[in-house]
Order: sequence, then C-alpha cells, then structure tokens
Amino acid sequence: MKILLIEDDKETSTYVARGLREQGHVVDVAATGRDGLFLATDGGHDVLIVDRMLPGVDGIGLVQTLRQTGIKAPVLFLTALGGVGDRVRGLEAGGDDYLVKPFAFAELHARINALARRPPLSDTSTVLRAGDLEMDLLKRTVMRGGRPVELQPREFQLLEFLMRNADRVVTRTMLLEAVWDFHFDPKTNIVETHISRLRSKLSQYGGAELIHTVRGAGYALRAPAPDSP
Amino acid sequence: MTGTVLPRVLRAATFRFAALYVAVFAGSALVLGAAAFFEARSALRQQMTDRIKSEATFLKDEFQTQGLGHLIDVVRTRGQGASALDYLVEDRSGTHLVGEMPAVKDLKPGWTTIDVPRASEDGGRPERVRALVADLGVGVLLAVGVDLRQIGELEEAFATAFLWTIGPAAVLGIIGGAVLSRAFLRRVDTIDRTVEAIIGGDFTRRVPTRGTGDDLDRLASTLNRMLDRIAALMDSLRQVSSDVAHDLRTPLSRLYQRLEEARAHARSVADYESSIDAALGEAQGLLETFSALLRIAQVEGASSRAGFSEVSLTGMTETVVDAYLLDAEEAGHQLTSTICQNATVNGDQELLMQALANLVENALRHTPPGTRIDIRLESDPEAGVLLAVEDNGPGVAEVDLPRLTGRFYRGERSRTTPGNGLGLSLVSAVAELHRAKLTLISRKPGLRVCLAFPVDERWPAHAKRSAAL
Repeated sequence: MKILLIEDDKETSTYVARGLREQGHVVDVAATGRDGLFLATDGGHDVLIVDRMLPGVDGIGLVQTLRQTGIKAPVLFLTALGGVGDRVRGLEAGGDDYLVKPFAFAELHARINALARRPPLSDTSTVLRAGDLEMDLLKRTVMRGGRPVELQPREFQLLEFLMRNADRVVTRTMLLEAVWDFHFDPKTNIVETHISRLRSKLSQYGGAELIHTVRGAGYALRAPAPDSP
Repeated sequence: MTGTVLPRVLRAATFRFAALYVAVFAGSALVLGAAAFFEARSALRQQMTDRIKSEATFLKDEFQTQGLGHLIDVVRTRGQGASALDYLVEDRSGTHLVGEMPAVKDLKPGWTTIDVPRASEDGGRPERVRALVADLGVGVLLAVGVDLRQIGELEEAFATAFLWTIGPAAVLGIIGGAVLSRAFLRRVDTIDRTVEAIIGGDFTRRVPTRGTGDDLDRLASTLNRMLDRIAALMDSLRQVSSDVAHDLRTPLSRLYQRLEEARAHARSVADYESSIDAALGEAQGLLETFSALLRIAQVEGASSRAGFSEVSLTGMTETVVDAYLLDAEEAGHQLTSTICQNATVNGDQELLMQALANLVENALRHTPPGTRIDIRLESDPEAGVLLAVEDNGPGVAEVDLPRLTGRFYRGERSRTTPGNGLGLSLVSAVAELHRAKLTLISRKPGLRVCLAFPVDERWPAHAKRSAAL
C-alpha cells in the first residue's frame, strides 16, 4: 500500500513510518499541511494518515480542502484531542476513522488495513462466506458446515464484523466501537467473553478454529486453507 | 471628548434614558398641544362668525320691520353696552350714520377687514376688525365685525398656559433623571468595587443584594452565582492538581524503579523483556489514568451541551446491559434489569453510555461473586427519568458515600482491585453536564447509585416517535 503520513511531530512520524515500512508499505511523510497537500494532490495514495494539529493549518481544514479537490482516499485522523466533539468534527470534515494518541502501532495498522480495503458502499451481497461458515444477512441466520448455529443478536453483529473484515486483524477497540458503540475503554472483558462464547458456538459441531487471537493486537477471522483434494 | 468633560451623572445610562424620555414626552405634548390649539382657534373663529351672522340678520330684520331710525337706535344702544362686536351703518355715499367703525367708501357686501383708529388706547395703532357687510337696500349699508385682537389675545393666553405646563414638566423630568442616575450609579459603584476586589484576588467577596428582587438585584445574584461557579471550578482545579501530583507519584516511581532495576540487575534478554513488559504495563496504566482525567476535565469544562441530541435511554441501557450480561455471568454475578419503554433525554449518548458502563463495572468489580446487580430505568411524567444501578453486595459505609465521587478515591477494600478511582468522578461530571442528580444510597446491604434526569431535559414531544424506532 502507498500511504501518506502528515504529522509534524518528528518522533511520532519516524515511529509510524518505520513500522509501516516494516509491514511492507510505501510511506510518504509530510511535516506540514502545505507539503501534505502537495503530496496528496500528486495522488496515488491508498490511505492518508493526518495529524489533527499541524503547524499553520488544522488537519480538519486540510482534509476539507483535499475532499474539495476530489481526493477520495480514506483518511485516518491522529489526535491528542480525545473529546467526543473532536471525533465527530473530524468525521464530519471527511475523515473516515479517528485514533487518539497515544496508540499502539498494532491498532493503527489494523485500522489502516480496514480502511484501505473497506468494501464499496454498493456492496449488495447478502451472504457472507468464510470457509464452511455462511451468514445470511437477510434471514439473519448462520450455518456452519450446513448446520445452523443459533446466535444472540450481539453475537451475530460481532461475527458479521469479523466476516466483513475476514483475513485482517480487528482490534478490541474497533470491535467495541462497531458492535457496542462504546467509544471508551471498558475495564472489563466484554470483548473477550463475547469472542469466547462465539467461538464455542461456532465449534459446537467441531471444525477448525475460525477466530484467531492475534497477540497484542486483536482478532482475525481466517478460513482454513482448503484441504487438498 | 465631551464625554470626559461631562459629570458622571450626566454620562450615566439612566440619565440618558431620562433625558430621552423627557424629550419624547415634550415632543409628543407639543404635537398634542398644537393640535388642541388649532382646533380651539378654529372653533373660536367659527363661533365669532356665527355670532356676527346672526347679529347682522337680527339688525336687518329690525331695519326692515321698523325702519332706519329704529336701527340707528338699536346700534347706538349696542355700542354703549358691553357688546364685544363693532358696528357701522352708513349710506351708499359713504356718510357715517352710526357705529364705532369709521365710514368706508365703496363698501361691498360680504366679508371684509376695516381699520378702526383708536388713538387713545394703542398709541395710534389701528385696530383691525373683521366685518360682515350687508346691503339693507334703499342705500343703507350695515357692517358687523369683531376686533381681531380679541381673538389674538385668547390664543396667546392659551399658548402661554401651555408652555408654562410643558416647561416645568421637562425641567422636573431632567432633574428626576439626574436623581435617578445618582441612585443607580451608587449601586453600580458597589458592584464595581466588589468586582474590582475580586479581580484583586479576594474571591470570597460577593455583590451585595437588597432582597427586593429588582433588576439590579437579579443581576447581582446572577453575578454571585457565576462567582460561586468560578470559585468551585478553581477549587476543583487546585484539588485536581494536588490529587494528580499525589496519585501519579506512586505509579511513576514504580516505573522508575523497574527501569532502574533492569538497568542494574538484568542479565539476560528474558530479564530485559520482562522488565520492559512491566514498565509498559505501568506506562499503559498511567496513560489510562491521564486520559480518564482529561475526559473528566473535558466533561466538566464542557460547553458541549451544544452537541446534545435526543438520546434513547431505553436503547442505551439495553445495549449496556446486553454488553455486560456475559461478563457478569462469567464472574458469577446475577445481572438483571427492568427497563421502561420510551425513556429519552436530551444529552450526549457517548458520555451517558460511558457513565452507565462505569456504574455497572463498579458494581461488577467491587462486589463478590453471587451478588445480584439490578439496573433500573424508570420514566415518570412528574419526576423525570431515573436510571439506577443497585447491588446487594457489601456496600459502602455511610461516612464514605460523599467521598466516592471525588477523584482518585478508592475504598480500603478496593485498593487491591485494578482501577484508578476515577470512574465515579466521570459519572458525577456527566451527571452535572446533563443537570441530572447523582445520589448514592447505602442499602444495607449493598449500594444504590441513581441518576435522576429532570423533566425539562426530556423531549416529550419526541417520546412517541422514538418508541417506534
């Protein structure tokens, strides 16, 4: 992926850029809003990472300008401002996601992956599949190897999010936001307990483990490699 | 420039209002007076005209029935009497027969003006008489008129009387204005001095009120409430600074010790790794504490009521209960709920959700397995919306209840459980932002934490609509 990082704090940008390059991405770095605008209009970036507070120009103003010039690449805001209103303003200005500093690199990486491969809105498919797991979004039913799996509404939502993001890491925070609409970090193990309940329901008839724990990052739903015939 | 030269009283707003009022009053009185004056004058003139006409008709009748000699007698008698009218009878050749007015040549019938010389009275200035001339036939002309000066005098008297009323009224108004502004200025000066003292650092001072409930009193009490709020905020700021300094020392020094120890004693990669992991854990905890503090500060200092919208407490409570149900089960707690339909408040959904989540987490963390936790949402058209979290656990000692919402407060028993003692502080801040009343009641056994949203915070008009959603 080609990623543009607009961040004035040298330490943060070095840390993030090095991390992303290690993951095999191409990273452009801009330290000011002007440079960022220039590089962004040059085009070709899959994801933009924009700091909210840049010298001279607000990250929000920058993204508004980008959107006006027709740049549609998804934008992830980085910010030290964690207020509710700040996040809403960021998203309204045309941002796609929001990450409050300090953050773990794994969280940033998971979110960038989710953004870059976000399915187009016109995705009309009503059935999601992963290996022998099949989810019918209209009938709200889940089948594993042809046998029905009974899920609570919240478990269904959780599984849907995992399946939509199949093969990528989703973090605990992403799940909290998407499934429970919790924009804060609860001290208890909501996600863990729900995941473990979901796992046991999915494997009640046996079959390979689908939901994998990614240590220090989150979870990923992966279909097992098809058996060789 | 003139502003600085004028005395303060004249610059006072009250005085300017009084002056403006006097000007408007005098202006409208003048307009009304002028209208009355012209109306009276025209009525007076009409009356004179009518009198002259009827006198002329009367004299004409006298002449036609009883002859010229009789007419001359009547006119002479009138002239000697106290009649306000002037007369003239002359023949066509201009010979004066009788009357105060001098003979006039070529007198034509109809209205005319005749000058009557009155040397004795007016220093030779002739009197102007407005007269009606009638041709009596047979070469005799009759004129009946009235001295215009008489009307003039009446009009003048009227105008003088009017000006004498308006003038003093205006002067009194101006003086009244000055007196009023002096009184007003004294009270403003009091407020000014108090505020100056507060600016000077004496935050205990308050603007005195008279208890009359007038506008200045209301202003003063609003100012006082503002000062109370500022003082409370300053206190809490001081409190927070010292709490932060005090409570962050412990984890920071632990972090420092771990790093120091690693530096001095670690011998292997595994040693370093475990030290770094421990240090990361400490740093993570510190960051969490900071972001919790920041969040509380943001909520407390929020002007963000602007971002409020209609929040379905019913839906929100269901979500939170649903989220913690499994957790509670795993921890051996019973989590039950009684949630009414259609409860909505005007608020910030994220904050309300976090507040409720904090309450539930508190109940889960600070009670032993087997404890029953009940979440209740009740809506009452009179009392507003009540959101309560109750448990039948060990509870909190009565004396500790008021300290629970303070920052970093942790009960003796909870020293060993994870947490930073900021959960209830946030709930308290969120409650305040929503003007909800937060009460903590010892249930013996257990604790009941209740958020009561006032009625006016609800959106009753939308209650039905949100029920359908």
